[in-house]
Amino acid sequence: MARATGRAIAALVLLVGGSSAFAADVAAGRAKALMCQACHGLDGLSKVPDAPNIAGQTESYLALQLAAFKAGTRKSETMNVVSSTLSEADVANLAAYFSAIEIKVVKIPGE
Amino acid sequence: MRFHPKVTVVLLALALAPAASNAAELETLSAMHPTSPIDWPTIPQTGAKADQVKQNLSKIKLPPGFHISLYALVPDARHIAIGPQGIVTFVGTRKTKVYAVTDRSRGGVGDEVKEFAPTLPKKIPNGPCFSKDGFLYVVEQNRVVEYPAAEFFYESPDVVPNAIVPEGELIPKGEESYNHTARPCRVGPDNKLYIQLGQPYNVPGKDKLGMYTKLGIGGIIRMDRDGKNREVYATGLRNPVGMDFNPKDKSLWSNDNQVDGMGDDQPPGEMNRIEKGGLDFGFPWYGGGRVRTNEYKADTPPAGVVFPEVEQAAHAADLGLMFYTGTMFPEKYRGAIFSTQHGSWNRTVPVGARLMVTFLKPDGHVAGKSEPFAEGWNDNGYYLGRPVDVAQMHDGSILVSDDLVGALYRIWYDGK
Repeated sequence: MARATGRAIAALVLLVGGSSAFAADVAAGRAKALMCQACHGLDGLSKVPDAPNIAGQTESYLALQLAAFKAGTRKSETMNVVSSTLSEADVANLAAYFSAIEIKVVKIPGE
Repeated sequence: MRFHPKVTVVLLALALAPAASNAAELETLSAMHPTSPIDWPTIPQTGAKADQVKQNLSKIKLPPGFHISLYALVPDARHIAIGPQGIVTFVGTRKTKVYAVTDRSRGGVGDEVKEFAPTLPKKIPNGPCFSKDGFLYVVEQNRVVEYPAAEFFYESPDVVPNAIVPEGELIPKGEESYNHTARPCRVGPDNKLYIQLGQPYNVPGKDKLGMYTKLGIGGIIRMDRDGKNREVYATGLRNPVGMDFNPKDKSLWSNDNQVDGMGDDQPPGEMNRIEKGGLDFGFPWYGGGRVRTNEYKADTPPAGVVFPEVEQAAHAADLGLMFYTGTMFPEKYRGAIFSTQHGSWNRTVPVGARLMVTFLKPDGHVAGKSEPFAEGWNDNGYYLGRPVDVAQMHDGSILVSDDLVGALYRIWYDGK
């Protein structure tokens, strides 16, 4: 099971890496992220109660979710609308930008 | 630790059924029984964040003679209700808390900010509003709670609540959503409670329309202040999040947020004039102004649809709205409408994040388009703040809430 999962992740990473014929551009992602900031913040930290923190999130996960919102296979009244205008390059750049934000856990309850 | 026997029973019941709603605390508090003591901190009002916010406010442009300052740091600040006695200002959030802001020094700042009624759990308590005789109403996701004499009882963590619309009875459970669930309220000149109800979708499916129209989802409902005699007052709205009555002619004005995903520059946002009950404002046949939605393009809109009084910038997110009745501001602002634009979330280049003013003619209709009154929170597409609501203080100055920064700002005029 674990090996199968590992293989699946490897395959996904290959898929994401392989689907873009260009290098993801963090600076272009940051410029595009102005359309994300109202909910997720330019710092990737949630600004509204119904949006998650995405700062430092795994790049491949972000790219996969954006693609799923765009394809409509993951449902969200807001994200389906926003992602519909994103190009393949935008998706890669945004995933690169938000994943590149460095975050640090300061306190864990009970520790 | 001493527990009231009833509280113990209730707590046990809660422990056995952790998924239970907030009914237990409501029952205990409604019976005027105290709950156990809680940690009840105040929100810090000084430090690096306050300093930064004050510095950002220097970028806000206002007409000559007007000034803006930080009134209070209030986390997630949404809609505002100023107490009729001038003692406390209540601020709703889209999370789980309502805040009470008190100007203890009587110096024009809300120097004490605490959670209101912390022993009563709340769900998306976005919309507080007051009756003239001091009853506070808070509209939540799916409940409406009345707090009698809130301006006096708020000093205790246990405030007597009265659920005039019990949990689950504002809308059907199955229609609960997070989206479009910020619900403002007003007590009207007829002494009835008016509530704006957004509908959950970008554009709802046709299977939902009959039920939504019947219940006033995507519209405005009104009821007696005890929750009885609920009726639908206006339909054909999409996500109205701000309204006020014109004290001159009793017409109700409501902003409405329009359809997303139709491009950067359409459809327009709306400011509507609701002259009387029973009117239809055109959604979902129209997605904003006279722009037809793709989903209902082939359908014939209902007869007599009322189009907006003002078409606003597309996606600017027009929220809070109030009629200015004070005397502090110059003559031309008296009787005018102040309203906010929260700022777009789905435009490639953000628009909005400002305070607008709309002037009216003697016949009660607008004299022209809404004009920017305070702007600068949209700093070349980067938000320094996102205004939500606007409310008038007793001295005629106005408060503006900002849920991005988590703050209330005060705007005043001295002509200098």
